[in-house]
Amino acid sequence: MIGDDDTLFIDIGCSQQKKYNQNTYGDFYISKRYPEERRLIAVLSDGLGSGIKANILAEMTATMILKFVAAERNLMKAAEIVMNSLPVCQVRKISYATFSVADCSETGLVKIVEEGNPEFLHIRNGRVIPEEPKIIVSKKFPNRFMRTYTIQMDIDDRLLFCSDGVTQSGLGGPIYKLGWRREGLIDFVEKRFDAVPDISCRQLAQEVVVEAQTKEPERQAKDDISCMVLHWRQPRSLLVFTGPPYYADRDAEYANLFINYQGRKAICGGTTANLVSRELNRPITTEMFAKGSLPANSYMEGVDLITEGVLTLSKAVEYLEDAPQEMPDDAAGKLVTLFLDSDCITFMVGAKVNQAHFDPDLPLELELRKNVVKRMEKILTQKYLKQVSLHFI
Amino acid sequence: MENEGKIRVRICLGTTCFVMGASKLQELEHLMPPEWKDKVDISADTCLGMCQNSNSGFMKAPFVKINDEMIGGATVEKVIDKLKELIV
Repeated sequence: MIGDDDTLFIDIGCSQQKKYNQNTYGDFYISKRYPEERRLIAVLSDGLGSGIKANILAEMTATMILKFVAAERNLMKAAEIVMNSLPVCQVRKISYATFSVADCSETGLVKIVEEGNPEFLHIRNGRVIPEEPKIIVSKKFPNRFMRTYTIQMDIDDRLLFCSDGVTQSGLGGPIYKLGWRREGLIDFVEKRFDAVPDISCRQLAQEVVVEAQTKEPERQAKDDISCMVLHWRQPRSLLVFTGPPYYADRDAEYANLFINYQGRKAICGGTTANLVSRELNRPITTEMFAKGSLPANSYMEGVDLITEGVLTLSKAVEYLEDAPQEMPDDAAGKLVTLFLDSDCITFMVGAKVNQAHFDPDLPLELELRKNVVKRMEKILTQKYLKQVSLHFI
Repeated sequence: MENEGKIRVRICLGTTCFVMGASKLQELEHLMPPEWKDKVDISADTCLGMCQNSNSGFMKAPFVKINDEMIGGATVEKVIDKLKELIV
């Protein structure tokens, strides 16, 4: 039901730096969301060597693992098969590529497998907390093993994965003879959380990469440096109420459901706005002048945005499709901005039809609200990777 | 009250009214004689609910409400004529 969703949103951010003098990255990361399963899989792979060869090895390994893990429900089994089948370099007798994979659920449950990459950091309340791995040794290669973990994440917990280019940065130099190491990284990350407790995934990943690079003499990276951060957070949710309910005797029920929703709220439709205003006894004020080709916004206490209905929704779909560099300063532009600032968007779509919208004397054809919202759902999900749910009332 | 005693003009900006010409009515304030400004209070409304009302008879969108009287098929001229009646 609307507003009863207790799942979290998984944010992800990555950053990379190439080895000095190479023209491509030898590490590779990939992630994919599976909205129906409320799941996200993220992989970070470090290819042997650097440059093109490493890039191909890492990309192949990461892509294969992602697809294999997605198809195979059992992550541990999938990872073990990959570990046993990854080839060994003829010359160096070590793996072609190492990997870390996190199979994440929006409920907070996460399964992690690491093979050859540095151990990840689990960050809770700005501090790194220890995690005990279960070791699985390869049956085929005695020197190869993987660390596996099953962890329950709390809200605002983060995971940080990195390639050895981070922990070994500065290695052999005058200051960091043994490299920056895991201890140095933990110290840095904890200090960053002290300074910026709500640091974004993208920002933290970038800062770790930049910091690792500064450990290198003359900032020339001796290896590829990659960092990937995941964050389980409260979704930024938005409820859009558009169109009056089919049964008018349920107006009050839906108006209350709307106003009590935990998250941002928008109303698209004059009749809908009046309905909420009447049921909750909150006055509406309307701006006088249209902006662009749309009626102006209205205002009501406790509601973030009020617009006209089907014209504004149709225009918003247009903006979502065209993705203009600068969002126009009209009601549809404001609605789109609200969409883009939300992770989970719920539409409460009233099924009542206004006959006057189908008057043949109208100078333009008005679309059915239901169809506009369905197109909107498709584009928000597919192009903008939002979680969208529709409720027809 | 600032608007007390003024003639109240409310322009419907619902979907039907907007596409049927209410967008032009928004210019009313600039098109009426400037000396009326102190006598007329113009505001917009999300929807006056008239288009979905089969009792609106032969009246059509766009709708404008002047004090308690509903005007259908409203144009700037029609509204100015009505205001003239009330002011003069």
